[in-house]
This record gives sequence, C-alpha cells and structure tokens, in this order.
Amino acid sequence: MDTNIVLQLENITKKFGDLVAVDNINFELKSSEIHAILGENGAGKSTLMNLIYGLFQPTSGTISISDNPTILRSPKDAIEHGIGMVHQHFMLIENLTVAENIALTIAQFSSQDGAISNIDSQHSPTGSIPHLSKFRYKKEEAIQITDALSNQFNLQVDPKALIRSLSVGLKQRVEILKALAVDARILILDEPTAVLSPQEVTSFFSILRTLQADNRSIIFISHKMKEVLEVSDRVTVLRNGKKVYFGKTSETSARALAREMIGEEIADIERNETKATTELVLNVSGLKVQGNRKEIAVSDITLQTYRGEIVGIAGVDGNGQRELAETIMGLRTHVDGKIEILGRQPKGTKNIRECGVGYIPEDRQTMGIISSFSVTDNLLLNAPQLDHIAKWGVIDQKKKFDIAKHLIETYDIRPPIKDRISSTLSGGNQQKIVLAREISPQPELLIAVNPTRGLDISAAQFVHINLLEQRSQKKSILLISTELDEVLQLSDRLFIMSRGKLIEATPYRDDIETLGLFMTGEMDTDAQPA
Amino acid sequence: MPNLHEIYKTTKSVCLATMEKYPRVFQWVVTPCLILSGAFITNGIIMFLCAYNPIEAYIAAIALTFGTLSGLSETLVKATPYLMTGLSVAIAFRCGIWNIGAEGQFLMGALAAAFVGTKVAPVLPNTSWIAIPLSLSIAAIAGVIWGIVPGILKLTRGVNEVISTIMFNYIAIYFVSMMIDGGPLQETSRTGPQSDPIALWANLPPLIKPFRIHSGIILAVVLAGVLTFILFRTTYGYQLRAVGEGAAAAEAAGISIPHNTLRVFCISGALAALGGAIELMALSRILTDNFSPGYGYTAIAVALLARLHPLITVASALLFGALAEGSFAMEAEIGISRQVTWMMQAIILLFVIGFGSIRYLQKHKSK
Repeated sequence: MDTNIVLQLENITKKFGDLVAVDNINFELKSSEIHAILGENGAGKSTLMNLIYGLFQPTSGTISISDNPTILRSPKDAIEHGIGMVHQHFMLIENLTVAENIALTIAQFSSQDGAISNIDSQHSPTGSIPHLSKFRYKKEEAIQITDALSNQFNLQVDPKALIRSLSVGLKQRVEILKALAVDARILILDEPTAVLSPQEVTSFFSILRTLQADNRSIIFISHKMKEVLEVSDRVTVLRNGKKVYFGKTSETSARALAREMIGEEIADIERNETKATTELVLNVSGLKVQGNRKEIAVSDITLQTYRGEIVGIAGVDGNGQRELAETIMGLRTHVDGKIEILGRQPKGTKNIRECGVGYIPEDRQTMGIISSFSVTDNLLLNAPQLDHIAKWGVIDQKKKFDIAKHLIETYDIRPPIKDRISSTLSGGNQQKIVLAREISPQPELLIAVNPTRGLDISAAQFVHINLLEQRSQKKSILLISTELDEVLQLSDRLFIMSRGKLIEATPYRDDIETLGLFMTGEMDTDAQPA
Repeated sequence: MPNLHEIYKTTKSVCLATMEKYPRVFQWVVTPCLILSGAFITNGIIMFLCAYNPIEAYIAAIALTFGTLSGLSETLVKATPYLMTGLSVAIAFRCGIWNIGAEGQFLMGALAAAFVGTKVAPVLPNTSWIAIPLSLSIAAIAGVIWGIVPGILKLTRGVNEVISTIMFNYIAIYFVSMMIDGGPLQETSRTGPQSDPIALWANLPPLIKPFRIHSGIILAVVLAGVLTFILFRTTYGYQLRAVGEGAAAAEAAGISIPHNTLRVFCISGALAALGGAIELMALSRILTDNFSPGYGYTAIAVALLARLHPLITVASALLFGALAEGSFAMEAEIGISRQVTWMMQAIILLFVIGFGSIRYLQKHKSK
C-alpha cells in the first residue's frame, strides 16, 4: 500500500468556551486507506470532522494536506483542497433530478476554463472537474457528465430520476457522486450505513473498495463495530475528545474496540425466559392505512400482542412502520380494519393513552419532545398525566416538581437540572426524558419506534433494559425498529414489515440473510422464510 | 485584515460566553436594551439629517412623558390599547397562530360597545353596574365571533389565518364605516360619519380627575396577570404553549390541536375586542371612522418586543404609549413632524424583528 500521507492533524484542540471538544488529537490519513473513527455520541467525532471540513477552525494545532499546512476557513475551502463529506442527513435538493444536483455542485466550483480556481494543483495529479457551460444550464450536458461519472466509478444511478423518488441507498450514491464530481480525494462519510438495509450495506462496501482502488482516501465514521472491522484498514477510537486507541484493524477485536469506546466492559443484558401470557392487549385486524400521498402504506395487517412479551417488527425505513404506529396511537385515520386495546376501541390519542398506552415515537426531535420546553415541562407532555396533577386546570406546582425530581433521578437524566431547556441536552438524555415520561405511568402497552436511533452503546443499553423491565412486569411491548440486531435481541416474536405487509419470521440470528432479503422485498412476501 | 478579524472573533466569543452564562439577563434586559438603543440611535441620525437636534428632542419627549403628571397619565392612557391588542397577539403567537386580525377584532369590540352604549344602555336601568359589564361582555363576544371564523376556516378548509385575518380587518373597517355612515349607528342628527356618544352610565370612570387616566388600564393590567397565570400555571396554558412550540409532539401526547386552535382564536379575539371597547368607553365615547390608528398592527411589534410574555407586554405597551406621547411632545416643542415619529415606530419594529431572526439563526446553528 502506498504510504503517502494525504492528511495530517497535529495536536489539534478545539474548545467551545470551557468545554474541550477535541483534546490534542493527532491523526493521519494515508492515500487509498479506509480509516474508521469510532466513538460514542459526544466523543468528538463530529467536531473533528467539522474541523477537517472547514466548518470549525481549531483552537490550536495544525492541519496539513499533502504535507502543506493549511487553514480551512469554510467547507468551500475544504472542497477546493479535495476534501468531500457525505453527511448523515443528505444535502440533496429533493425536487431536482440527479443530474441537476450534480450540475449544481460542479457549477459552484468550476471556473471558466474547467479547472478548480485558486488551488494548488498538487493534491490531484489527475484533478479535473467536468466542464459545464457558462450562464446556461444544458440538460444534455449535465446528464452526460453524470453518466460519465457513474460509469467511471461504477455507481449506477439514473441521471434523470428525481431525488425524492430514489431509495435511501441511491440517494447516498448521489451524495458520493457529488463529492467525486468535484474530485474529492479525501471522503468523509458520517455514519453512512445507519440508513441502509443489510443488502445495501454490502453493496456500499464494494463502492468503498472501488474508491479505494482509485487511490482515494476515506474517513469512515461509525459506531457499528462489525462494519468497522469488516471494511477499514486502520481505526482510531475517540472518547471524551481524546484519542484512546489507534491501530490496524486486523490487530484488534470488536470487544477490545468496544471497551476502548465506552471505557469499561459492556455486560450483555439479561433476558429472563418468562413465557408470555395469553391475555390479549393489542388486537389489530385487517388494518389498512393511507400514507401522506394517499398511497397504501399499511395493507391488511393483522397483529396481536399479549401481556409479558415483546413483539418486534423489523424492516427498512419507509415500509409503513411509521404509519402503523401512528394509526395505533390515533394520530392517523385508517381506511379499513379494527384496532382493539384491552378489548376497547378508544378514539383519539388522549383516550388511547388513557387506556394505558405509552408511545416512544420514531422522531424524537419533533414528536418525542418539545425542544424549547424545559426538562420538567417535557416530562409532563402526556395529556392524561397532565390532567392528573391539575385541579380545575391549575397545575399543582409541588406535584409537578416532585415528579420531575423523581424521574430525573430514576432515569439519570443529565444534567439533572429541572429548568434546563431540552434542546441543550444530548440525544441520549432527550430519549431518557421520553422513556421516563412514557414508561413511568406503567402503560399496559408500549409502542416503541426506533427507540435507540442515534444513541450510543450505553444509552441504547439503558433503553433495552427498560423495555425488558416492562416485559417482566407483564406489560406488552410493540418494538418497531430498523436495527435488526436490536429486534433480534429483544423480541419474543418477530415480524418483518415490507411494503406495508407483515411477514412472521423466526427471531433467530442465523437467519439474518433471509431476513435481510425479506426486508428489501427481494423475496416473495407471501412465502414464509425457511 | 487579520487584526480586525481577530478582534471581531474575540468580542464575539466573549459575548457568546457571557450569554451562555447569564441567559436570562440577556433575554430580558440586554437584548431589549440593545434593540431600543439601536433604534433610538438610528432615529437620532434621521432627525439629525432632517436638521433637528435629536438630543434636544429626546429630552423634550422624556420631560413631558415622564416629567409631568398629565404626561404620565397620557402615557398610560395611550399604552392601554397597545397592551390589549399586544396581549391578543402574544397569546395567539404563543400557540403558533399568526393572528394579524387584532385590528379588526379591536374595531368590532368598539362597534359592539358603541351599539350597547347608544342603543341598549338607555333603555336599561341607568346604572353602571349593568351597562359596563354588559358592554364589555357583548364586545368580548363580538371579538370571539370575529376571531373564531378564521379559526374555523383554518381547521375545516385549511385557509391560512394570516390571509383570512387580514381580510377580516378590511371587512371590520368597512363594516364600522357602513354602520356609522348612514347605518343604524350614525348619530341622530345624521351630520357626520360617527355615532352618538354612549350613555354616561356606560362610561368607564376616570381614576384621578382631571387627568384622563381611567379604570380600563387596571382591567388591562389585571388581564395581563391573569393571562400569565393561565399560560404558565394551568393545563390550558401548557397545552397552548405545547401546540405552539411543538405541534407534532403535542398531538402525540394527546393534546388536541383543533381544540386549542379554536380556544386561542376566541381568547385572542376577545382580548383585542375588549381593547376596542375600553378605548371607546373610557375616552372618545363616540365611534368614528379611523377609530384605530393601526393598534392591531403595532400590537405585533409590542408583543414581539415582549417576547410574547403577557407581563412583559405591559412594559412593552408602556414604551409604545410613551413613544406616542413623546412624539406629541417632540411635535409641540421642537416641531418635529409626526411622520418622523411614525418612522421611529417602524424602525423599532425592524430592530425587534432583526434581533429576533439573529436569535433564530443561532438556535438552529447550534443543532
């Protein structure tokens, strides 16, 4: 392998006020290397990447690109130095076509003669950006450029397709093409696999290898150990802003990396083998729901949950899971079918909650909490609960603060300040607010949608322990998640949701490839997995 | 210029650090002060360019507004309609309802009070104990009706309330015109486009003679207190804030968005209408064309400057009252035209909105 160092960080420190987000970090990236960066949320991964991408400037330390010390003032600077970034949340214009999105990117960076402006040509010996006509957008030209790019890197995508019609995997492909269009030699990929199905992950890895073969360097950010081990050459682990491990991937193991990441050994969670009772809690039959665009999002679903069991629904995002959960919660109307909770058919979210249903929505930021509310106010965000602590509509201040104090302590919400505005809390602690609020009233049925999305290992484990605790309390839990591992680990019974349909599956790990095929709809949905 | 850049960066980081440390002081004291001083300096420059001495003008304004009893009384009197409409806007915006209709609701309230005061009160027993509560409640009901229609349109037909409430303002303006110009409320002598004065016993009594300061001010301040209590201590206020700041989360929690929307349209409409009724019953006693010089629109600035907090709205309304009274002083003593002071109000509004958007940007950048 070429040992050329393309990017070097020396003693980089970044402070925000008193907080040291990145503490004296050294980092190097060789050409045509895949370098993984591991770390929990808040470990400093994003800050470090933002420093490389020019969004932040370091408090001290130097960044060198191809041995030249460089100051990156903005992402534009970074791109001009051959650094590209694929964000976790895609930066694409949904209503434009693939070719138009790529042409837009090129237009920002190509000067009249087709070469990048004000740049030392050293970083890219082959470096050239496709030429685009000035002043006028030519459709054919953009399509041609896009085609050429996709052929060059074997990233097939229809240039005329609208972005919003593409699957998540294809959108990511377009993001990568965008970076390649301006000839990025260094690609930063922020949690690229978080949104992909197992099959898409496999094809994504082969893309990475193609890029590697083309002499490009990749920084791969993840907190999934398995993927890091599979794809990377070297790995750097960050914890609390410090570099705690650095070495060749081949010389380490998942367990060792996990220990470095969280600073302690992680215990496997225990799942006691109690049997589910025969007492029916949720009974959904023949449910049909329309999605936002009047398409059939949920078609003819029948589903029962019993006391003392976790029913898992796995599946790739956007196959009707959200609609199913929202319909059970009364946030969406159904065209056909029946939903019974403990033998009743309550109407409206408040009544449904009064029947003893708790809900951990998939979108924490907009549906789980109100980010401008204080922690205390968010802990009250449950209509029946709210009525409970009020008399004649006047909220009992003492009860309110007692509840808040109790929940903050029990669920270890940090920082433990009742009046703190919720948006200043980390994602994990925001999720703890949701958990505390939804689990503490001891709901008979808990609907949890992607309850650990975006959480680090220890926070995710906290969620899992709480779900299992509900199970041993003989409550019923419906767990809808895109994390296959999570569903497999927790569920008593397992379903796969694909194109609005449910398929019953066996919750065993050895079937993971088959499950994956079901999730992507590659297999006939009417057949049962072997 | 690296030096300037460095200075700018250090200043910025020091400011941000202090802001983090004392967020409340910044929110409630420093930011409003910055907004006001910015606006006053800008206005001073404009006055200077118009060949007036801004310092002299400001001194005259302050001396009259706060230096004399009558000036103080006038400031309070002029602040009252701003307070009532400001509360109306604040409560609606808090719930995420962009009610621009305070102007129309204010006029409908005045119209209802004029109707009760001129047509109903004379045939009832001649006592304030009946006439005043009756006028105020009919006015409030008129405001509720004027507010609830855009609310229903929004919920059933998805009509944007910004558009419908503005249209309702026009309807109200011309409806009032119609009623007092040839309509049933025109004065008995039928000479001009105005109503008869309301019955004396429907008049809100003055507090301290000979000044114009009246009991409506007390009512308005009490209402501000009640609203603060409702907003921060009751489930109704909690739900209202939840819907305003996170509708999806509120809905998932089982809080009904339609109920809260309608409730807020009603409260907001009633408050503005009460403002109109108080103005009519305490001061002019006669409903005329141009009864409101745009209180309902200025109310948006009043409420935003107070960051939609009912109690702070009292202070913010006082400021606008003082500005109105001060402009009178500047006109009388220095000869600065009223247009300049209207410009000042607009500039203050711009500063309020400008600073608001900076806060908004910071909030979103930090994510």
